[in-house]
Amino acid sequence: MNTSAYVAGHGWLYRFDPRAKILLMVLLCVFFFLPITLTGLALTVLLVVVVGWRNTGGKNIARVFLSIAPMLLFMLLFSPFNVRSGQSLWSVRSLTIITVEGALQALRLACRFIGITYVCTLLFATTVMGEIMLALRFWRLPYKAALVVTLSFTYIPFIAESFSQISESHRLRESAREERKNYAQRLKDLLPTLTSVLVVALRSIPNLAMSLEMRGLGRSERRTNYRSLDSYTHLFTDFVISIIIVTVLWVLCKA
Amino acid sequence: MADALTITNLSFSYHSYQERPLEPLFSNLSLSLDEGERVLLLAPFDKGKTTLAKIISGVCPKYFPGTLSGTVHLFGTDLSTIEPWHLLTEVGYVSQNPVEQFIATTVEEEIAFPLESLGLPRAEMSRRIEASLSLWGLTHLRDANEGELSGGERKRVLLAIQEAISPRFWLLDEPFDDLDLMWRVRLKETILAEGKTCLVLASRYLSDFVDLFDRVLLLDEQRIVELPLPEAIERFSTLSGDDRPNPLLTQRIEAHHQATLMADDLTVERRRRSTATSPPFEMHVDSFALHSGELVTLTGPNGSGKSSFSRLLCGLDEPKGGSILLNGKRQGTKELNRSVGYLFQNPDLQIFLPTVEEELAWSLRRRRERSTKEIEAQVGDAAELFGLRLADTPTTMSYPKRKALQAAVYYLLDRPFYILDELDSALTYHSALSIIASLRRRGSGILLITHDRTFAAKVGGRAYTIEDGRLTER
Repeated sequence: MNTSAYVAGHGWLYRFDPRAKILLMVLLCVFFFLPITLTGLALTVLLVVVVGWRNTGGKNIARVFLSIAPMLLFMLLFSPFNVRSGQSLWSVRSLTIITVEGALQALRLACRFIGITYVCTLLFATTVMGEIMLALRFWRLPYKAALVVTLSFTYIPFIAESFSQISESHRLRESAREERKNYAQRLKDLLPTLTSVLVVALRSIPNLAMSLEMRGLGRSERRTNYRSLDSYTHLFTDFVISIIIVTVLWVLCKA
Repeated sequence: MADALTITNLSFSYHSYQERPLEPLFSNLSLSLDEGERVLLLAPFDKGKTTLAKIISGVCPKYFPGTLSGTVHLFGTDLSTIEPWHLLTEVGYVSQNPVEQFIATTVEEEIAFPLESLGLPRAEMSRRIEASLSLWGLTHLRDANEGELSGGERKRVLLAIQEAISPRFWLLDEPFDDLDLMWRVRLKETILAEGKTCLVLASRYLSDFVDLFDRVLLLDEQRIVELPLPEAIERFSTLSGDDRPNPLLTQRIEAHHQATLMADDLTVERRRRSTATSPPFEMHVDSFALHSGELVTLTGPNGSGKSSFSRLLCGLDEPKGGSILLNGKRQGTKELNRSVGYLFQNPDLQIFLPTVEEELAWSLRRRRERSTKEIEAQVGDAAELFGLRLADTPTTMSYPKRKALQAAVYYLLDRPFYILDELDSALTYHSALSIIASLRRRGSGILLITHDRTFAAKVGGRAYTIEDGRLTER
């Protein structure tokens, strides 16, 4: 029931030590919340997307964007209304609908959301799960917690995969008339698809628990590791590079 | 010889969603196996084989709630006193539905996981993993993700895991399902390996079992009886209804559809996301034709591209080159979506509403071509034809019933062509043949994908095969 987010490739991100990659991921996520200019934030996000595109390909980058597009749309549509003070951008008679500050805040939120999504996705797209486990253990995360993290990140693509299969199945049940459905109807049609996804996901939970225990999770012996991170020989250099990248970005982008 | 497995007076019934016990699957069932013995347990579909396997593995009723009474001892240990992880080297269970047993993201890590649990040194793990990958022809798939594997490849991964663990007792639930001929032979060799204690639960591929087992048991009306293989097969045939006449032989077809689906010079290329080194999967179809009312079978080894070809025919994927024609006219994906019904192997991806009635009526109501009364009548007829009860809840129905509901949904869509992907998996021959007959009665052309040559012979008609990336008519 597990679907991997990993996309095979040969780019430099694949050669970057997973332990340093986790550090870089955390530092970048923190960076997105530092007091930096909106232009700097947007350019950093663009840089992350370009790096992702060079390493994992345009198809993967587009797929990730499509998966967050609905939430991004909601964010851009509704968050500008939260800021009521400041210069009016759009008003109807005396009622200010959107302020410049509201629009800028919405853009900042969207940039952060895109940035965090791509930074996390790139970690999982360029590192095999076994190595992520080892890297999390290096950062002193207990085995079971590391397992939960990695399983969660395989569960998300599994649900996405189920969603796509169920959508395909519904497409095969449509008639010619339904091709001309409006957006409201399409939105309504999401409900049965989501219900099916939920049923498939819920059914998989006891199976996952069963399989983990059948494969010996819970035994008293000390677990060994089949994989190792020995092939990554530049851990210190990669740590330094991670810190330099974020420091340079901070110097260039600080408000 | 020492007892490997002793089951005494086992009774079990699942709980409903309201926590009420359902009809018992077994009552006072007893069974014993000696160490080193190979035993076949035949049981019709839906009579509790998988549940029995899960009880012996120690995960039922722990994860699948129900009421259990009686005792199960494995190598002298009472299973009610032990957790499943302690049984890792005692019992190795291969599920009928391989997807439910995958936990890691690559084939290699899947095999490594239990070895890590055993605390084996890396060199020993590596030796065992290489040996099992090689034995089950998975070396080139070591980096592949479960989602990229075919049904047979998944089954081989589960068998490779057991090979690597080498448990004392092998518990195989419909292990021959999904495997092509070559791997069925390999599985037989595995079962026959010296000193192996093995319980195989099966309801298909019965002709493969000659001279393979020390004893043959039959789950007959909640009791276990021991019989010689020919008698067991005969009785099994009666129990599962397979001795009834083939409904396809006497079928009269209405000439409702008159069409021909053709594929011309199709090429397919598919890359695995999980590996950058292995070459892409490629397939070529010079020509293929399916006429209204016709029955055509498609066979081929595991991972040969049967499902990929089906996805092209029904318009879920686009080919790299070539065309698909309906009555001589080139078709786009949307037109194919509406002309070719594709019954996925897993029915749960195609049914989603709370009752059978709503499920059957869903597409008809959305078409808005018929009155409510007409829809009700059509839905009632379809339910009767496929043996369904309108008020039943699909998610709690048995697998064969869910499969029948999936077929009934497509029957009501009235497509000129249907592709049935491994319809016979987990269905009796008679049930599968009845579904085919029902779908074909209005003249639809049927393409059936199967691994079971006995079943393919019962279906009859023309036969295609895919091998080495090429589709040919046999």
